[in-house]
Amino acid sequence: MPLDTSTYSLALLRVDGRRWNELRRLHAQIRIQAAADGSSYLEMGNTKVMCVLTGPSEAQQQQQGQRRGQATAGGGKNASINVSIVVAGFASVDHKKRGRNDKRTQELELTIAKTFASVVHTHLFPNSSISLALHVLSADGSLLAALLNAATLALIDAGIPMSDYIAACTAGSTSSYAAADDSADPLLDLNTQEEQELPFITVATLGETDRVAVLNCESRVQVSRLEGMLAVAVDGCKEVKQLLDKAIKAKGAKMIREGAAEKSDAMAMDLDE
Amino acid sequence: MATTHTLLSPAELNYLHTSLSLRPPIRSDGRLPTQFRPLTAETGILQGTNGSACVTFSDGAEAIVGVKAEIEKTPDAQSGDEDKGKKARGDWVEISVEIPSQRDDDAGTIFLGEMLREALLGDGEFAKKLWINRRFHWRLHIDILLLSPALSYPLPLLSLTTHLALLATRLPKLKSEGDEDPMFDDDWESSVFVYPREGASEGTRPPITLLVVTVGDNVIFDPSKEELAVAETALAVSVAEVRREKSRGEMEVDTKGRELKLLSIRTIDPPSRLTPPGVPNGTATATDGKPASNLASETPVAGVWKAPLGGTKFSVVDGIVQAVLEKGGVADEVLDGLDGVELA
Repeated sequence: MPLDTSTYSLALLRVDGRRWNELRRLHAQIRIQAAADGSSYLEMGNTKVMCVLTGPSEAQQQQQGQRRGQATAGGGKNASINVSIVVAGFASVDHKKRGRNDKRTQELELTIAKTFASVVHTHLFPNSSISLALHVLSADGSLLAALLNAATLALIDAGIPMSDYIAACTAGSTSSYAAADDSADPLLDLNTQEEQELPFITVATLGETDRVAVLNCESRVQVSRLEGMLAVAVDGCKEVKQLLDKAIKAKGAKMIREGAAEKSDAMAMDLDE
Repeated sequence: MATTHTLLSPAELNYLHTSLSLRPPIRSDGRLPTQFRPLTAETGILQGTNGSACVTFSDGAEAIVGVKAEIEKTPDAQSGDEDKGKKARGDWVEISVEIPSQRDDDAGTIFLGEMLREALLGDGEFAKKLWINRRFHWRLHIDILLLSPALSYPLPLLSLTTHLALLATRLPKLKSEGDEDPMFDDDWESSVFVYPREGASEGTRPPITLLVVTVGDNVIFDPSKEELAVAETALAVSVAEVRREKSRGEMEVDTKGRELKLLSIRTIDPPSRLTPPGVPNGTATATDGKPASNLASETPVAGVWKAPLGGTKFSVVDGIVQAVLEKGGVADEVLDGLDGVELA
C-alpha cells in the first residue's frame, strides 16, 4: 500500500502524529527469563523483539552453527558471537514464513554479530562462544535498530564486559528519492509505512559518543541529504542510549531493593528516587 | 530428541533410575508422580494476531504461540455436492514450530509439530470451524515459538501454550449470507471465539498433549530433563474435553465434571537409549583386558546402569490411560488449572 506522505508539508506531522525528531515509545526490560544467562525485551513503537543470550560457554557448536546458517563473528583466540534471528510468522500484518536461510535475515545476523564482536571484550573469553537468539514478535519498522538495542541489553544482563552500549535508531528523509525536493526534512525512527516509501538509514553509535558502529542503508538516498539524516540519527542514538541506560538502572535499583544484589560502596546511585 | 543431552555418568543415571523405580517413586525435585511443574500463563499478548498465549514453566522454559487467520478461496467450489453441507479439510491449518539453535527441517521439530497437529485435527471437528461458505474458508497459521533454550523435551509446554492460544482465538463476525463474498463486522468487540465460551458451546475443545514416562512399573507425568534421561519409555498422550449439549431435563448438578476423550498416544524415543552403560566392577576392562563385546551379552547386574531396551508393557499403557482419563485425574487437573487463565 503506497503511502501518501505529501501531507507532511502541511502540518509538519507524520502519519502517526509525530514530529520529525520524535522517537516512538521505547520500552525496555531486562532479565525476563530465569533460565537464560541474559535476556531482554524491547519495544520500539510496535516493533517488539526479545533477546535470549547463552554463554559465554564452550565453543563446541561452532562448526554446526555455521551449517545452520547462523552468523558467527570472531572465534579462535577470542570468543565468537553467534546470532540467530527468528522472525515469527505473525510478526507482520500478513502471515509470512521466513525460513532460517532467508537472505535478509542472514544479513541482519551478520551485521549484529560483527558489530558486537568489535565492542564486546571477546579476548577475555578465549575459545568460547556467546549465542544470541533474537525473536521478532512484531515488526513495524526499525527492525535492525531494535535488534541491536535488545542484544546490547541482553549482553549487559549477562554481565559480559563491553566497551560501551550499542544504541541504534533509524533516520529517513521526508521525500522520496525521485522527488528532487530540496526542502526535505530528515525524520527520526521510521515505522513500516514510512520505511516502505522513504529513503532511510540505520545507525548505531558507541554509547553517547559520535562514533558510528553500524551504518546500514538499503535504499537510494541523495548524497546531499545523507549528512542531515546521519546527524539526526546520531542524536537519536544518544536519546536511545539514555532510555536503555534508564531501563538497566531501574532494574538494578529494583534488584538491590529486593535484596537480590548487594549495594556496593562505590555506587553513586541514589536508590530513593 | 537431540535437544536433551544430559551429561550424566552411568552411576548418576543408575541412582536416578533406582529412586524413580521405588514405590512410590522419589523424584529429584520432590514432586508427586502426577504433579506438574507450576506455570504462569497469559493470553492476548500480541495485538497483531487473532489469538495468542505465553506460558512459562517454573524452570524457565517459555513459549509463545500466535494464531493468525487469513481468508482463502476454496478450490473447485463448483463441484456441486449440495448434500455435503460443510466440507472441511485438515490442511487449512498450518502449524510451524520454531526452536532456537535447531534447523527448521530438523526431524525432531517436524515430529513435534505433527504431533500437535494430529491431536488438533484428529477428529475432523476443528477444520469445520474454519468453513465460511462453499467458496471461502479461513486458513489458520499457528506459529509456535520456543523462546528459552531447550531445557527438556518441550512438548507439554508447546501443547499447553497452543491450547490457550486457540481458546483465545477470535475471528471477525460474518455479516454476509450464503455463498456470496464474505463480509465481516469490523468491530473487534463483536468477533466470535473459535471455541465458544461456557454455556452454548458444544463439541471438542482444543487438545492438550501430556508427556508421560515410565520407570519400572511407575508412571511419571511431566518429566524433568534428568527423569527423561533414565526413562524406559516416553509417551505423548493427547486428550481433549468433549462438551455435549445438555438435554433440557438434565439437572446442572449431574453434569459436573468434564468428559474427556483420548485422541492419540505416540511413543517418543527417550534419550536414555543412547546413554552409555556402566561397567560392573568384576569385569573392569582396565585390569584384565577383556574385550568390550563380552559385556554387552552379559545379564544386567544390579546397581549398574544399562540403557533400557524393548517396548512398553500393555498394563503400563493401560495404567497411563487410566491416570489421564479418570475423574480428578491428571488431564482434569491440568484443564482445571488452565481454566483459571483469563482469556483476553
